[in-house]
Amino acid sequence: MKKTLLSWLLIGGMGLSGAAVAQSDYPTISQLNQRLQRVASNASATLTSLTKTEGGKDIWVLKIGTGQLDQKPAIAVVGGVEGYEVLSVELAVQFAEKLVADHSDALEASTFYIFPNMSPDAYEQYHASLKYERRGNAVSVDHDRDGIPGGSAYSDLNGDGMITMMRVEDPMGDYMISKEDERVLVKADRSKGESGKYSLYKESKDDDKDGEFAEDLKEGIAFNKSLTYKFPVFEPLAGDMPVTQKESRAMLDYLFEQWNIFAFVTFSPANNLTSPLKYNAGNAKKRVVTSILEKDQALNVLVSDLYKETVKQKGFQQDNQGTDGDFFQWAYFHFGRLSFSTPGYWVPEYKDSTGKGKSNAEVNYLAWADSLDMNDVFVPWTEVKHPDFPDKKVEVGGVKPFVMTTPSFEKVSEIADQHTEFILKLAEMQPKLEIHNVKTESLGNGLTRVTMDLFNNSSMPTHSEMGEKSRWLRKIRVDIDAAADKIVSGNKIELMESLGSFEKASFSWIIKGSGNVTVKAGASHAGFTTSTVKL
Amino acid sequence: MKKMKTTKMFIALAVGALSLVSYKADAQEKFFRAVGTPHNPKVDIAFNRYNTYEGLVDNMKKIAAAHPDIAKLESIGKSYEGRDMWTLTITDFSTGKDTEKPGMWIDGNIHSNEIQGGEFSLYGAWYLTEMFADNEFIQQLLKDKVFYITPTINPDARNNFFLEPNTANSPRSGMMILDNDGDGVAGEDGMDDLDGDGNITMMIRKSPTGRYIKDPQDPRKLIMVGADKMGEYEMLGQEGTDGDGDGRVNDDGVGYYDPNRDWGWNWQPDYIQRGALKYPFTLPENRSIMEFVMKHPNIAGAQSFHNSGGMILRGPGAEEDVSTYNRSDIQIYDALGKKGEEMIPGYRYLTVYKDLYSVFGGELDWFYGVRGVFTFSNELMVPYLYFHKQSGGQNEMFEVDEMLTMGDAFVNWHEFDHPQFGTVEIGGFKKNFGRAHPGFLLEQDAHRNIAFTIYHAYHTPKLSVMDVKEEDLGGGLKAITATIFNERLMPTHASQDLKYKIERPDYVSISGAKVVAGFVVEDEDFNKLTEQKNNPEKMLVDNVPGMTGVKVKWIVSSGSNYSITVDSAKGGKASWKKEK
Repeated sequence: MKKTLLSWLLIGGMGLSGAAVAQSDYPTISQLNQRLQRVASNASATLTSLTKTEGGKDIWVLKIGTGQLDQKPAIAVVGGVEGYEVLSVELAVQFAEKLVADHSDALEASTFYIFPNMSPDAYEQYHASLKYERRGNAVSVDHDRDGIPGGSAYSDLNGDGMITMMRVEDPMGDYMISKEDERVLVKADRSKGESGKYSLYKESKDDDKDGEFAEDLKEGIAFNKSLTYKFPVFEPLAGDMPVTQKESRAMLDYLFEQWNIFAFVTFSPANNLTSPLKYNAGNAKKRVVTSILEKDQALNVLVSDLYKETVKQKGFQQDNQGTDGDFFQWAYFHFGRLSFSTPGYWVPEYKDSTGKGKSNAEVNYLAWADSLDMNDVFVPWTEVKHPDFPDKKVEVGGVKPFVMTTPSFEKVSEIADQHTEFILKLAEMQPKLEIHNVKTESLGNGLTRVTMDLFNNSSMPTHSEMGEKSRWLRKIRVDIDAAADKIVSGNKIELMESLGSFEKASFSWIIKGSGNVTVKAGASHAGFTTSTVKL
Repeated sequence: MKKMKTTKMFIALAVGALSLVSYKADAQEKFFRAVGTPHNPKVDIAFNRYNTYEGLVDNMKKIAAAHPDIAKLESIGKSYEGRDMWTLTITDFSTGKDTEKPGMWIDGNIHSNEIQGGEFSLYGAWYLTEMFADNEFIQQLLKDKVFYITPTINPDARNNFFLEPNTANSPRSGMMILDNDGDGVAGEDGMDDLDGDGNITMMIRKSPTGRYIKDPQDPRKLIMVGADKMGEYEMLGQEGTDGDGDGRVNDDGVGYYDPNRDWGWNWQPDYIQRGALKYPFTLPENRSIMEFVMKHPNIAGAQSFHNSGGMILRGPGAEEDVSTYNRSDIQIYDALGKKGEEMIPGYRYLTVYKDLYSVFGGELDWFYGVRGVFTFSNELMVPYLYFHKQSGGQNEMFEVDEMLTMGDAFVNWHEFDHPQFGTVEIGGFKKNFGRAHPGFLLEQDAHRNIAFTIYHAYHTPKLSVMDVKEEDLGGGLKAITATIFNERLMPTHASQDLKYKIERPDYVSISGAKVVAGFVVEDEDFNKLTEQKNNPEKMLVDNVPGMTGVKVKWIVSSGSNYSITVDSAKGGKASWKKEK
């Protein structure tokens, strides 16, 4: 018996460490599926496939919690919002793995939803024989809207298995060689008398002879460009209408049934954690609101400070605070939840020996990579024959796909640890309802006055300012279980719009008769508290 | 199942055949033709009453069975509660596939209490099919165009309006039950029909502090007493009870949401646009329509029937969308809408956002914004129709009920022992009065509105290839110039359509000739040409504007027997062939 148990433990241990050791690069879809199944073997986790994408891949959600898990405030962690951000998927999955393995105590007060990969069709491109940074799913879309299927997609002109850039020598072109790094092309500033020398395109051919390059990609709709907030109608990768795709509909249908989510942490290009969103009174007061609301800005500052305390990397060139149709803004502006997003990783600022920085992101990246002897990140410009430019010099080259958004895999563990810690600390900040100062006073003749205070013992309000406006968050409901005809004064059911951080509300009832009465107060996303008094 | 259906069909056919015979005999012996109305209809429908969902479907099936060559019935999806969404496709199928003709979409009843859209749409289907046999205009119309008619796009709640207790305003939504009061329980405090008459009316109670009395000259009316006078009654609001014990009456029933805030153009969430659901096309009814329309790029015009107020509405629904509606398109809207005002007395042609209220995610904006389809939404029924004067108001309603409907529209005050309020009196106007037409006004207004819709459909594009000219260029080359003419108001591409490249270009193709080069002619007199280098046999023309034409030119090296065709998604097809 003992031996068997020991050997099981050994095998189990080997399995775990084996997986960790064997993994030297970001996982494939099937490796991911195996890891999710492994997490789901934990009693506190349930793995559900919400739908299958056009490409036949599962959209998974892991729901992790214990006891009455729908009555505990929850955080949703979302990865793969952009298909090319393979790190984001890894961070979401590692959070789930670490949560069940090392932090199950967090489940006493909180519930977690993990959507590891919202763009599995595009994610696959990282492992495909032709590698490029893909956003769209596997749906067939006529992006250039010419009614003719198959325009110009990417084309691997130099046969290196990846899509980089191509530059065409052209005195009418907009680009010139950067003065800081001759590998990099920058836009010529004609107002400063600079002249262009190159036209710059994604590596492609003009298959439909319309003079455009890579305008009709062989990828479909991008999840992070097709939600309802500021939907970029008719743009490539967005489509004609928002939320038309299987994965977006399945996820939203599911989210609208989960009333306990109070915050989202999304791993996506947008970043409101190294620096918070800024309140703009004009945009916040317009009918169609496009600024974070004033009170929510303060919460964003609070959470941003928490992030910067926990995650070591200093913010650099993190100027994406939302793009049209994206998920992170949807979660706040259209779903009314607190919404936080970070890429999890970015290229650090490189300064040379004189302490001088670089003005251009690619130049900065290459200088930083050079300083670390990373010599596998750039495809040197090499001349190719191009059928659309028979008389011109065409060269293919540039920074390799993925390298600027994706750290080498051995660095992921530390990033994941820090982000796991951040999410757990955020969970500790969740609204916390408590009942205090319970008093009963006999008024004689079988009447009792019951008074109590409901207190939110948290730096976070039960409802964000935006959440108060949304019909998709429940109000704080206070119920007293005395029979209606026994309640002389006070409401049997009381609904409150919200309870601010460290705010209290007082309640009073006069009740006829004797025995116990119980007061229950709360909402799914704020948690519940109860108190029983004897009349 | 199949067997049963077949049997039913047989019976229906048998009954149809029988009635045909008898109608024919009747027509000869008892009736004289009234101009403008189907004289001897194969399907007899009374347009002075309302039809439940089943009643509408029954009539639609009869129409499809009686006119198999010009009407087809299909279910385009299921409602929330699983009812089929039936759509009639009406065109002369002997002259081409429906999808190759400019299409007109017609629907009604998106708001379930706005019932007469069902009857008006049905009237359209009936009128077109029954007039086809002996009216030349309708014959040509159905040769050129196709109508897609879905009388009720909210079938579940249509039946709820008729069959369950309601006011004239409920339910506006469908039958999905949501948590309206935000207490975590859905639909726990709905309507209570205390007196069991099918109408939710009003409750009043005798009270020493009340400020109202019954009008001594008309006890149906409650009037407020002067500031220094004692009243007799207090108003308690809608007939109902506090079902969930939260101190409010009827505060969580069916809805609230608005199926006309659920469409995918400039959609906004509920806190900005009250009544919106989770995301565009949350409702299966709307989703089915959207999918049908996306699969029918030939739809060029659309009409949806609402009530009430006597309005012919165009977008934009929201000021934020003003720039979407371009000048050239507004001119076409104006031409159609102003004609509508003449055709439908009492109705005004208006713009939603500035004359009504703001709407994000409405159906008409979706049709125009996402598909570039010229769309109107008519608010049917207007008090003008009662006495042919501009008036309205509650006093007129009492007068109408006294003079024209003989008391049929009002529930007289009667006592009721209420569980929470004690003795109350219940009474007021019935749900089928005010917004809905009384029976005697229904057919006329249906005809006028459908005549307007037919005018709208008539002005979807009609293309022809004409004025084909040849010019010998020497050296075995000749130039062929052709005009693609559009003899109707609407262009093949609305300016919204052009702006976003919504629908593909029109294809103008030549076959039977060896093409050397192809051009769109910008100015024939000065030979200003735009060349299409790639595949010039099939010229891509961005647009054929209304009431004018576009010229194309080819230089060909051979071909004496050639033909030219135009193929437009919203403009249909036309061709020309060189004789000999």
